[in-house]
Amino acid sequence: MAQVPTQELELLKNLRGVDQKEYYVPGHRTCAGCGPALCYKLVSKAAGADSIFLGPTGCMYVANCSYMCTPFSYAWTHCQITNGGGVASGVESAYNVLIRKGKYKGKLPNIVVMAGDGGAIDIGLQAASAMMYRGHDVLFVMYDNESYANTGIQTSPMTPYGGKTTFTPPGKMVPEGKKLFPKDAPQLFIGGHPALHYVATASIGYPVDLINKCRKGLNYKGPAFVHIHCPCPKGWLYDCKDTIRVAKMAVETGFWTNYEWENGEYTYQHIPKTYKPVKEYMKGQERFNHLNEEHIAKMQAFITAKVKAPGKPIEVPVLGPREA
Amino acid sequence: MPKEAYMAGCAATANGAKLARVEVITSYPIRPYTGIMMELSRMVAAGELDAEFVHGEGEHGQVSVTQGASAAGARAYTGSSGVGVAYGMEVYSPISGGRYPCQMAIADRAYDPPGDFGSEHTDVMSVNNQGWILGWAETPEESMDNCIIYYKIGEDPKVMLPQWQVQDGYFVSHIPNKVSIPDQAQVDEYLPPYNCPHALNPQNPTNHGPQIFPDQGPAIDLQRAQAFLNTPKVVEQAIADYNKAIGRNYSAWLEEYKTDGAEFVFFLMGAHCRTARFAVDHLRKKGAKVGMVKLRFVRPWPTAQVCEVLSKFKAVGVIESQTCYGGAMKGGELQHEVRASLYDSPKQPAVCSFMAGLGGEVISLEEFYNMAKILEKNAKQGKVDQYVYWVGFDNGI
Ligand SMILES: Cc1ncc(C[n+]2csc(CCOP(=O)(O)OP(=O)(O)O)c2C)c(N)n1
Ligand code: SF4
Ligand SMILES: [Mg+2]
Repeated sequence: MAQVPTQELELLKNLRGVDQKEYYVPGHRTCAGCGPALCYKLVSKAAGADSIFLGPTGCMYVANCSYMCTPFSYAWTHCQITNGGGVASGVESAYNVLIRKGKYKGKLPNIVVMAGDGGAIDIGLQAASAMMYRGHDVLFVMYDNESYANTGIQTSPMTPYGGKTTFTPPGKMVPEGKKLFPKDAPQLFIGGHPALHYVATASIGYPVDLINKCRKGLNYKGPAFVHIHCPCPKGWLYDCKDTIRVAKMAVETGFWTNYEWENGEYTYQHIPKTYKPVKEYMKGQERFNHLNEEHIAKMQAFITAKVKAPGKPIEVPVLGPREA
Repeated sequence: MPKEAYMAGCAATANGAKLARVEVITSYPIRPYTGIMMELSRMVAAGELDAEFVHGEGEHGQVSVTQGASAAGARAYTGSSGVGVAYGMEVYSPISGGRYPCQMAIADRAYDPPGDFGSEHTDVMSVNNQGWILGWAETPEESMDNCIIYYKIGEDPKVMLPQWQVQDGYFVSHIPNKVSIPDQAQVDEYLPPYNCPHALNPQNPTNHGPQIFPDQGPAIDLQRAQAFLNTPKVVEQAIADYNKAIGRNYSAWLEEYKTDGAEFVFFLMGAHCRTARFAVDHLRKKGAKVGMVKLRFVRPWPTAQVCEVLSKFKAVGVIESQTCYGGAMKGGELQHEVRASLYDSPKQPAVCSFMAGLGGEVISLEEFYNMAKILEKNAKQGKVDQYVYWVGFDNGI
């Protein structure tokens, strides 16, 4: 069947190019220093007004919107924590048929799911995978605050090894709190979805890069997945003024890696000149305070192995907000 | 010109969906409803129907896709059976609360355990309070017609509610019958294209389903309840209009079969009505004062009509093809609704339930005759000996 017309979003050269207009406007009740809220603001700027956003249950639903007082200036709907990918598939299918039949005059809206880590790769994984498998033209953003935050900071598959949460409290029998290492979210999708052509990781510490990756994802016809590291002061237990510092430190220590995968190839990976020890990243966050040297060494070994992946590394410096 | 054909319920229902010009269809396989989706996928592949056909990854996904499609303004269609109906559960309330008038076809089926393909009303009756319009069809033709009529009701601006359009598995879904398929032009005139006033639309942005505070809950729930209160008038009009446009003869809520002079009746819905009609014919010839009352809608439940009609008789036998373990009457759910409807009536028939057709077992003519004997006794003595009979196990039936 004929492709419906889609939008083409321009990539930014620097921070000055960012749309001055706010699409994610005041009206929310997120914590001071909330990383996911900043992520929402940036993804909204990337997508713009001709968009439909979907918000599975999580902090970015509950803390964002009160009845008659939502921060979304574009079309937006709640969906269940389980079904962001499903509802988005339905919205996209509807627009395909409505545009084809001439019942909607316009281009295919930018359709964006804003799912938490739980809503993306734990309870919401089935719906996300199905959406990507079927090839719906939807950008699936996973804002990763490394826990089930909204329910009071419980462990999710993205909670790092050694992370203290209210379901992984450290104790005599479990000194490290969380014993498992996290899922590799992008690999879950890269690994088995033939219709998926764009996957990227980004961080709120690098907004131009984040916006561009979302725009690239939206420009690709078909599904795209962008995994965004979003520090959460309430869950990670650091001072709320430090959100950007924590985000950048994650990249500087290799705890987080920004990369891109397009059409089956790794096309970009940010590699700092030297990696700082991961301890530097962990020490500002009370969630790791209970760990001993042995635990930290285990974490360092995991990170050292991780930064070697994925695929073909290309050294391209990523501009931060001040350097841009 | 309407077309005469022989088809089973699944194919007939698919023809109903085609005539309703559904725009987004979402499938997942489970017997016995699967045939509806097989036929619709064929129609889409052959270019007979212009719709998006989405392969759901499960019923939860199916219903989610359907929610999104309906919220975006398309006429959305899905379906399921048995455990699949249960698996979609989380998404039913968000759909009715979002006031998305999509439709889900159900060919009913028993729950596990034990694994069983047979028809039973347990699947739908266990989710029936989620704010969806709900009713049963007795024949393939009625199932096709209901598909069209339900969209007309659900999409009415005073209603805006989703619909479960149910047929009994196998008895209706798989047994070919004569079906008169209406003209597309007639249906187009009856059912105009869906126009969602609150669709998710970048050109007129709205926000759907934000979090509320507890004190905002009652008002929002009242609106959904109000929509149900608005529904009966719309149902009556939609059915009268359909009868006129297509040349059918449906009663809106209850169909009475040979109830003139009847002292006792079978009260039921779905495919077993057909056997009941034969049983009534036979028993009438032998002089029994028996009739049948067929229920067409379970939600909204026609309280006043059930009260008025059943009050005319001395005894009522409610045939229950579902169970309600530990409930007030220790049988099925229908007796609760029937008794509640009759509570204010000055004339109280003697009401009992017959647990029959569970697991998809056929309810035989012999069993109907045995039930009639009990009802005859109840009518004579003006009271019941037992509230619930398990057909095939309890004294004499
Ligand atoms: C089916 C279901 N199970 C559990 C919940 C409870 N719940 C609400 S928000 C939430 C946490 C979501 O975590 P995540 O997706 O990571 O988003 P975050 O809150 O961290 O932003 C959970 C578990 C729910 N809403 N629905
Ligand atoms: S708990 Fe974390 S993610 Fe949730 S609102 Fe607070 S800072 Fe944001
Ligand atoms: Mg989270």
